[in-house]
Amino acid sequence: MERATVIEQLTPVFRKIFNAPELEITDEMTANDVEGWDSLSHMLLIADVETAFSIKFKLKELNKMRNVGDMIEIILSKA
Amino acid sequence: MLKKLFINFLLVAAVVAVLDFALGKVLRHFYFRESSGLHYRTTYSMEKADADILIFGSSRANHHYVPEVFADSLGLTFYNTGRDGNGIFYQAALLKSVLKRYTPKVIILDYAGDFGKGRQVYDNLSSLLPYYQSHPEIRQEVNLRSPYESVKLLSGIYPYNSQLLTIAVGNLDMNKKRKSDNKGYVPLETEHPVVKEYFNSLIQQPVDSNKIESLREFVRVAKASGTRFVVVYSPLYQEHKRYWEIEICETICKEAGVPFWDYSRDSFFVQQPDLYYDPVHLNHKGALIFSKQIASRMRDVLH
Amino acid sequence: MVFTSVNFILFFAAVIVLYFSAPLKWRWLVLLVASYFFYINIKPVFAILLAAVTASTYVFTRLMDQTRKESRKNVYKVINIILVLLPLFFFKYFAVINNSLIAGLQGWGIHWPLPEIELFLPVGISFYTFMAIGYTIDVFNEETPAEKHPGIVALFISFFPLILSGPIERAGNMLPQFRNPVNPDYDKVVKGLRFMLWGFFMKLVVADRIGIYVDAVYHNIPNHNGTTLLAAFFLYPFQVYADLGGYSLVAIGVAGILGIKVMDNFRRPFFAATMAEFWRRWHMSLITWLTDYVYTPISFALRQYKLWGIVYSLMITFMISGIWHAASLTFVAWGLLQGIYLSVEALTNKQRANMEKKYKLANRGWYIFLSCLITFILFGISQVFARSANLQDAFQVLGKIVTEPGALFIGAPSILIFSILGISMVMLKDFTDEYYPGRFLLFENRNKPVRVMAYSLVIVLILLIGVFDGGEFIYFQF
Repeated sequence: MERATVIEQLTPVFRKIFNAPELEITDEMTANDVEGWDSLSHMLLIADVETAFSIKFKLKELNKMRNVGDMIEIILSKA
Repeated sequence: MLKKLFINFLLVAAVVAVLDFALGKVLRHFYFRESSGLHYRTTYSMEKADADILIFGSSRANHHYVPEVFADSLGLTFYNTGRDGNGIFYQAALLKSVLKRYTPKVIILDYAGDFGKGRQVYDNLSSLLPYYQSHPEIRQEVNLRSPYESVKLLSGIYPYNSQLLTIAVGNLDMNKKRKSDNKGYVPLETEHPVVKEYFNSLIQQPVDSNKIESLREFVRVAKASGTRFVVVYSPLYQEHKRYWEIEICETICKEAGVPFWDYSRDSFFVQQPDLYYDPVHLNHKGALIFSKQIASRMRDVLH
Repeated sequence: MVFTSVNFILFFAAVIVLYFSAPLKWRWLVLLVASYFFYINIKPVFAILLAAVTASTYVFTRLMDQTRKESRKNVYKVINIILVLLPLFFFKYFAVINNSLIAGLQGWGIHWPLPEIELFLPVGISFYTFMAIGYTIDVFNEETPAEKHPGIVALFISFFPLILSGPIERAGNMLPQFRNPVNPDYDKVVKGLRFMLWGFFMKLVVADRIGIYVDAVYHNIPNHNGTTLLAAFFLYPFQVYADLGGYSLVAIGVAGILGIKVMDNFRRPFFAATMAEFWRRWHMSLITWLTDYVYTPISFALRQYKLWGIVYSLMITFMISGIWHAASLTFVAWGLLQGIYLSVEALTNKQRANMEKKYKLANRGWYIFLSCLITFILFGISQVFARSANLQDAFQVLGKIVTEPGALFIGAPSILIFSILGISMVMLKDFTDEYYPGRFLLFENRNKPVRVMAYSLVIVLILLIGVFDGGEFIYFQF
């Protein structure tokens, strides 16, 4: 899968979870940059990302996601 | 780097020292100008009291010995130096201060019944800090607070820690009404609903040998002064189970040949709710009756 | 040896001199010896437990490091967690379980052969156990490599500024700092001293003063009316904040002077507008620890249940937090309440966001104030359970607040006056830090005389109205 495609599919998931219709995601983006991104919504995000790409994360991978870029890399490694 | 740090450190220390010195002086001035309240009564007891009969002890002394009863039945002047929350160390220090000035005809020590370990009595010795510099005879007791008291007392504010408002109010006339006393005695007027068992949870406690030593010293010093000296254990609402503490006191008195009058199990006072303010304090009514009994026994001793 | 004692000041002065005069290579040893000296000073036997927890953690993290097989690693992880938890469980819960068993069985007429016991909780055990567990899991997750040097691991677990009450630090942050000590740095030293000074102020002037009033009220609940209990209700959260927050600042300052950066533990908690935000500002080192090692694994496992999975994980996490504080029903209730607060918030998040958008509330002063107040009250309710001796007391307090107004119990007026003065100063500082960062600075003012006066006045205030006798840190009991 292309990186661009991943971003394209990922954006609506983020917009829905954080209730922000205009949100654009970037590699460097972290939880601090998005309103409402806390440890509660994070798990909802993870679950929706898994569904959107039909993949399953491991807990270890979850711990290694420092920003959106990391998440994209992990998705790319799986899909 | 070290130099810069050191200079700034000294700078702050210097400013603190100046402020501390100035504020300490102001606090001291007003502390000794107080005309009512606990501070005033301690100052009075230490530096001015000249009564024939002096009562020593804690709150149980303060609220249990009524001046008029003693004055009338013995024809002697009276002052009650008992202070709330203070234990044997305070009492021993105060005794030494008093005896430096004069020897009263009669001294009654109301023993507070406490030989258990605990910080409280040590902490409350802070009430003697303002006198530390001018009364060397009390230093032995005050130094029990911690090994650093003499260092801490380099600070001018320290002896008056937390007392700012109390000192201010003590200088006002209105405080005389708020904190009035009758030759030291403060009556407890309200009758309080007497609460459940009080002492049973305190039965076993390790013994604090400092307290035993201090009581010994009090008894020895008082006895040696030539005054008529008795130790009294005043009444309790409930007969309590710390007999061992009373026994310690009894032994000390016996060894020194000092009368020990134990009212802790006196059937007249036990379980009489209308005589009490709370389980360990008589109300004014109870104090009157108790004072009459003590005064009449005293009369027998004196004649 | 508590931070607010003369002994500690002398000890710390000696440590600073020894630490910075030792060659870089041996700095860790100075700190390790100092830490064990500090801990042994409290009660020598407890140091054996500390050493045992350290040894077990060192051995199993090293074993994990040398193993390739994931399942094997997992076994090592689990064994170590169980081993280091054993003493904590024993000291915290054995007496409770044993004594309630005795009581329960006696109710049935059966006599349990063991006597009733009361164990003395080794101080700090909850804190260093959590640090050891965190380190174990971090090594398992390959977040941090297993430290080869046993001295560094021992220092991490026993580091004296943190051992009694946290902040609960992480290996990833601390180990590299212990491995590579730095020389004294003017700014760090000054910052450390500043933290210590403000921490002392919070503890001595604010927390211990409030404590006198709150203790007097809670020791005699039946004889106090609703107004007085309400006053205690509002005062107690400030007391805990000033107590643990003040303690944490001193700890952070002490470590900072030695050149070791420790995470913040509180960030102006009473300016939180929601409970979720509150818990990102209150006892942060505990809550991030629980998030990483308890909440995340559970909620990850339950992620397919979406919101309800999160609600469940929250409940479990805060129950554990509650029971960690104390094995009592009051703390179970405390944990339950936090779980309920956060779950309700999580479930109504969208609605609230929409409402705020629709009426443009987010930046209104009164709305922010009201939100903070409601958050404070919700937290206050949970703290009634934390402070009460048992559930009946807690319900009695809450009941009386609503049903029994009356005249406020004042006691010695200076207690309330000094408390309010202290709270005002702490809240004023927090307020300017929150809404006007970088302005109205006192300790960091550009003008040197202002700075010097600020430091001096805080010291004088501590001398003047600090509580010097009989203060205990609340979190030593956990």
